[in-house]
Amino acid sequence: MNPSPALRVALAIFAFGFLGLLGYSALHSFDYAQEEAYSRDLRRVPAVTAQLNERVLKSRSALMTQYDPLVSAVRDLRALLTRLQLVPKFLGDAAALDLRAKLQQSEVALHKKDELVESFKTHNSVLQNSLHYFPILANSVIDRARAAPTGATVASRIQALISAIMLFDTSADTESTARVRAAQSDLSNALSAARELELGHELELILAHSRIILERKPITDALVQEVLSVPLPRLALSLEEAYSRHYRAATSRALLLRQILVGLALGTVVLGLTDVILRMRRAALALQTATGELRQANALLAREREKERELGELKTRFVSMTSHEFRTPLSVIVSSTDLLENYSERWTPERRKDHLERIRAAAGTMDHLLDDILLIGRAEAGVLRASPTELNLDEFCGNLVESLEHSSARSHDIRYAFSGNPTVSLDERLLSEVVGNLLSNALKYSPQGSQVDFDVLVSDEQCRFTVGDRGIGIPEADTPRLFESFFRASNANQIKGSGLGLAVVKKAVEVQNGTVEVETRLGQGTKFVVLVPRELSISRSSSSEL
Amino acid sequence: MISSVCSLLVVWFALGSIGLFGCGSHQNSRADEAHETDPLGAQPIEPLPLTSDFDVARAALGEELFREPGLSGDGKVACTDCHHESHGWADDSAHSRALDRPESPVNVPTMYNVRYLYKLAWNGKYETLESHVDALMVNPKVMASSWEIATKHLAEIPRYRQRFAKVFRDGLTPNNVREAILDYERSLVTPNAPFDRYLRGDAQAVSAEVKEGYAMFKSYGCSSCHQGVAIGGNVFERFGVLRDFFADRGHFDSADLGRFNVTQREQDRFVFRVPSLRNVALTAPYFHDGSAATLEDAVKAMANYQLGRDLDERDRAALVAFLRSLTGEYRGQTL
Repeated sequence: MNPSPALRVALAIFAFGFLGLLGYSALHSFDYAQEEAYSRDLRRVPAVTAQLNERVLKSRSALMTQYDPLVSAVRDLRALLTRLQLVPKFLGDAAALDLRAKLQQSEVALHKKDELVESFKTHNSVLQNSLHYFPILANSVIDRARAAPTGATVASRIQALISAIMLFDTSADTESTARVRAAQSDLSNALSAARELELGHELELILAHSRIILERKPITDALVQEVLSVPLPRLALSLEEAYSRHYRAATSRALLLRQILVGLALGTVVLGLTDVILRMRRAALALQTATGELRQANALLAREREKERELGELKTRFVSMTSHEFRTPLSVIVSSTDLLENYSERWTPERRKDHLERIRAAAGTMDHLLDDILLIGRAEAGVLRASPTELNLDEFCGNLVESLEHSSARSHDIRYAFSGNPTVSLDERLLSEVVGNLLSNALKYSPQGSQVDFDVLVSDEQCRFTVGDRGIGIPEADTPRLFESFFRASNANQIKGSGLGLAVVKKAVEVQNGTVEVETRLGQGTKFVVLVPRELSISRSSSSEL
Repeated sequence: MISSVCSLLVVWFALGSIGLFGCGSHQNSRADEAHETDPLGAQPIEPLPLTSDFDVARAALGEELFREPGLSGDGKVACTDCHHESHGWADDSAHSRALDRPESPVNVPTMYNVRYLYKLAWNGKYETLESHVDALMVNPKVMASSWEIATKHLAEIPRYRQRFAKVFRDGLTPNNVREAILDYERSLVTPNAPFDRYLRGDAQAVSAEVKEGYAMFKSYGCSSCHQGVAIGGNVFERFGVLRDFFADRGHFDSADLGRFNVTQREQDRFVFRVPSLRNVALTAPYFHDGSAATLEDAVKAMANYQLGRDLDERDRAALVAFLRSLTGEYRGQTL
């Protein structure tokens, strides 16, 4: 299995994607403390605004006698809005812009509210000052007026104004306003009377303070209304809504990011594991292959060893067979020579001639044997060369048949047939080995007087030699080893032979780029077919490895 | 082999991350909001806190800088040229003049308890101590300097380099000069005035006259404006509600427009930040123009223009006695 680059690339993409996103999410991660502080600040804006409003109302109704709580509430609001400018990073830039725009509105509103509160404090202080001082002043003047015999009217009119102012302080509607105005004009009319009592200055002061109250109270009330109507809580609410919207968006983004991260992590795990598994499998496979190759190499080595052993055996057999084959004619020569040496003087010339003939025949057998051995030896050493010459094949074969008929004293009926163009280019010596051996075998292994067919067919490309007999045939089990040196068919033991003939045929055919095949039926006969090229142009060595 | 190990590492890491991301949801815990005490029904005046938070080392350095002419652009004017320690960190002259600088258009107020003022300067131009001190540094009529220039001057004095290196991690920088000054300003708190002790429950801390003065202070409506922890300083008011102060004084300055100079609103003409009455006995002369030389004068003028009333000697004495009971302690020493 290939190391799959696609898998590696995918794994790298997943791993880098995962790490990249991890880094991104670390940078844009939720800062929960920041988020908490921010949303707490957001919720504090309306709360502190409400506090401020409540304190303004309390100041207005003199339930609160100092402005520090108002000031601290405004300060708190300002600090809150400043802090809220630092929008948590994880919300993103768009959210920050949106929130800051809304904060801007809130700040404008706060600024407006601050101004209104300032004005309120200013007017309220004057109002409260007069509301405090007016009754003290008025009552002291009433006491002084009552002390005088003519001061009753002035006193009662001051009393009426006090009552009107008290009522006005609680309601401040048109009716009570009218009543204060009436009381003021009544008191103004009493001014000359007061002057007589030396209270003119005090009366003017009472009137001045009552005018201040009449004037400032509606202003203060209106300011309170304005302070309360500044849409800071509404803006804060919309700010909070916008924040929670952005927060939700950021949360879902974070969730998506988390899912993608998990997906990437899973992908990385799966791909990584796949990669690891593939590697392991590949390693196992490589091991298996290596083992197989080793086994093959071992088998090859064993085969080689076997072959070597066989070759060794073959050589041993060859040597023993060769020595054996040589011993037979040698012993004939030795015995005939001994006999001739000891008894030639007593023997008849015919008998002497007979022994000399035996010696000659044995020598001839040895010579022939030696030729065969040499040929096989040269073929196996790879030095046997075919040296083609132009020859008349019909004539060559005819001569061969004739000499064989002569030597066998016409024991068989050799039927020779030739067809085709007789001019060929072949190695004459090797060809005579082939044809001679096949024909002499045919004669040797078939009964006397039987027919031997020898057909030669020359086509444009090749020559076909067929030698068929009607002899003992060859057992089927022996045919595979038929062309080995010194091999002899199991049914040929009774017949004299070296076991080299067919080996010589095969070597001689092969060295001429030809083939030899055998068709045989036990007890019925054997047919050898030899095919060689018609013109052997290139001389080549034997294909044998030996 | 190495790549196999790498693969395994990646796998392990990724597996770990699944565990990391696969679970866990955030629970918001909402802290209860701090709830404030409501001074409902309390006195209009609050005692100063007995302790205040500030960085002691920085404040000590700031105190040195406060006396350091090197802060000014020409290296000649220190803060102390107008704010005199012996005079309750205010100026004894109606209009301060430092060297060749133009005369200050308004009377220089005290440095004590500035951290409790809502807005700073007579016209309330500055919302914070920081913005105020920044403005004074670059004001050509005051320091004619900048934090950078001041830092450059200070860097020439080895003592400051060492002091700053000791107090601040990043040593002598313009921002640290500013921070030191600010911490010093924050440290200038004068708690434990006799009247504060009285407010805290020590009935013997003030005399009967003071108590009478305080009652008058409230009933005459003074505490409508002078209230809170600083006894003023958190509201703007017109100078001359019932009578025209400036007509009586006879001349007119642009500084007399007060808050109008900041807001340009018609209603803010002759409106000033109500000054704090803390340590008021130490900081004569009084008013934005320094026109009242004594506390008695100031009380008299206030009653006249704000109340439309001429106070008799007795009332005035009681009120002055009350005002004198507002002088606190600094660093444990009665001022």
